[in-house]
Amino acid sequence: MIEKWAIRQRALDRYLALALLCLFAIAWVTPLAIVALSSMKTPREQSQSGILALPENAAMILDNIASASELSGIGNGILSSLIYAFVGSVTAVIAASSAAYSIAMLKIRFPFFWFLIIYSGTIFPFQMYLMPLFGLYQTVGLYDTRFGMLLFYSAITVPFCIFVFRNYFIGMQGEVIEAASLDGASSFQTYLRIVLPMAKAPALFLFVTQFSWIWNDFLFGQVLAKSDDVRPVMTSLAMLSGTYGKGSIPQQMAGALTASIPTLILFFALQKHFMQGIILNTAGE
Amino acid sequence: MRAGGLPDTNQVSTEPLSDKVLVTPLDRASLYAPTRAKALFRKIEPYLYLLPALLLVGGLLLYSVAHTLAISFTDWDLITPPRFVGLQNYIDAIRDPTFTRSFSNTLVWTGGSLLLPVGGGLLLAVILERIPGQRVLKTLIYLPAILSTTVVAAIWSYVYTNNGVLNETLRWVGLDALARPWLVWAPTNTLAMIVAASWRALGPSMVLFLVGLQTIPPELIEAAKIDGAGERLLFWRIKLPLLRPITAIVVIMSVIGSFMTFDLVWVMTQGGPGRSSETLAVTMYRQAFIMWRMGYAGAVAVILSAIVIVFSISYLRATLKRSTL
Repeated sequence: MIEKWAIRQRALDRYLALALLCLFAIAWVTPLAIVALSSMKTPREQSQSGILALPENAAMILDNIASASELSGIGNGILSSLIYAFVGSVTAVIAASSAAYSIAMLKIRFPFFWFLIIYSGTIFPFQMYLMPLFGLYQTVGLYDTRFGMLLFYSAITVPFCIFVFRNYFIGMQGEVIEAASLDGASSFQTYLRIVLPMAKAPALFLFVTQFSWIWNDFLFGQVLAKSDDVRPVMTSLAMLSGTYGKGSIPQQMAGALTASIPTLILFFALQKHFMQGIILNTAGE
Repeated sequence: MRAGGLPDTNQVSTEPLSDKVLVTPLDRASLYAPTRAKALFRKIEPYLYLLPALLLVGGLLLYSVAHTLAISFTDWDLITPPRFVGLQNYIDAIRDPTFTRSFSNTLVWTGGSLLLPVGGGLLLAVILERIPGQRVLKTLIYLPAILSTTVVAAIWSYVYTNNGVLNETLRWVGLDALARPWLVWAPTNTLAMIVAASWRALGPSMVLFLVGLQTIPPELIEAAKIDGAGERLLFWRIKLPLLRPITAIVVIMSVIGSFMTFDLVWVMTQGGPGRSSETLAVTMYRQAFIMWRMGYAGAVAVILSAIVIVFSISYLRATLKRSTL
């Protein structure tokens, strides 16, 4: 009798917990709904209607995006950031996979030393990079250029990529060497035709995570670029927002929403990789 | 044609006749040169694969680390040449009340992040683990983590502004007395921003704890239950100790993240008003790129690094150990 009561009690507890969690989750994503709603209002409508009131004309979002873009160059920022995120992460994946290939599979001296040198790029806070890069970029003419931004974004994403690739390659060492020696392939052919195709999974995962990292960067855009054409999207968004921003609330929210679309698409398309990503990021499996 | 390939016999025969007739010892040496070059290339080739990564990381990142370290011992405004001042910048920093406040703000950030996203994430994971439909809930809670910190800052600036989401909501439920300008006074502004940061950071730490909980063998939990252990005992005596490796990683990551807090603060308050909400990273940026005191900024960066690197290295060891197992 008591047993039965205890079981029922436990089930009740569980439903209660579920209900509370659902409420919590809904409250958790409410700010996102507010962003979407306010981005579709005129500034006047926004200040007069309730926060959760539906917008009068949803197409207002296009006006808001257009005027936000005029104010901060966020439209150019989106284009620049797409280039940076795409080319930067692909470059990092290529550079890191080839380096990891050498470290894990080819005959080099002190492989672990080389690995640590490259991987050490992850241990320093970004504040250590800012001043010398600013100075260097000014001197060699890379400041406020798309090429300079690309170069930096590739460099900053290489260290984590090499960590993932090295782990992966060490796991598949035996198979590759066997397959390659059967073919009598050169080391470059082995890399191109055997190693890379086998490393599709980590390559895709790294592409997605590093793409988002570059897309989401604000700090280096702030330090290494200034013109509308070069400034990445988040740095432009920052000009609109916050206490010192110059945009109206609807403009800010329209900008925030637009700037989040690529990573949101990536997330829902490749949710598995994202979740795996944070696990890999920390557990390193 | 492959560079450094074998000397092609056909090619030799197509060479001008005059060269062929007079074969001096010197020519013979040059005939062998391609094979020697090839051997050399064979030795170097594996290192060539390292080159792009090494150039990028060494040329931009590691060079910068060394240079910042050097700058921190100088007085430099980017215009006049740097002047060596020894440890003066470090002494100035430690004596500077704004630095001290920035440091203590950073510690508040660290504590707040351990409490909210890390502690909260653990709590949520333990509850969520036994609940049906956890995938949808998990995704919803994880969602803010996909947004850029800048976007989070934009959203929460609106939440905290005078006629913003929070104050309007408070007035709506009749708690007018609680409505206030959230980003104006210290330490409320720092605490408010920690809440905003936690909105983004909770999901990832929750997911990690969920992964950790999955690795606990169910037999262990069952056995403890048969022995009559309640939920609370189960958590403190079995789950928490077994989660230690994951907890270590989440805690270290959170500490590193807190010490590097920049984007959110810069976008929301620029460290103000009156530099009251600065973190170390914000102080460094302000000194370098607003006040052009590069040496002082370098010293702040180095102090920041010294703290972060201690945690980074323990993080590295934890992850490397796991990956080689």
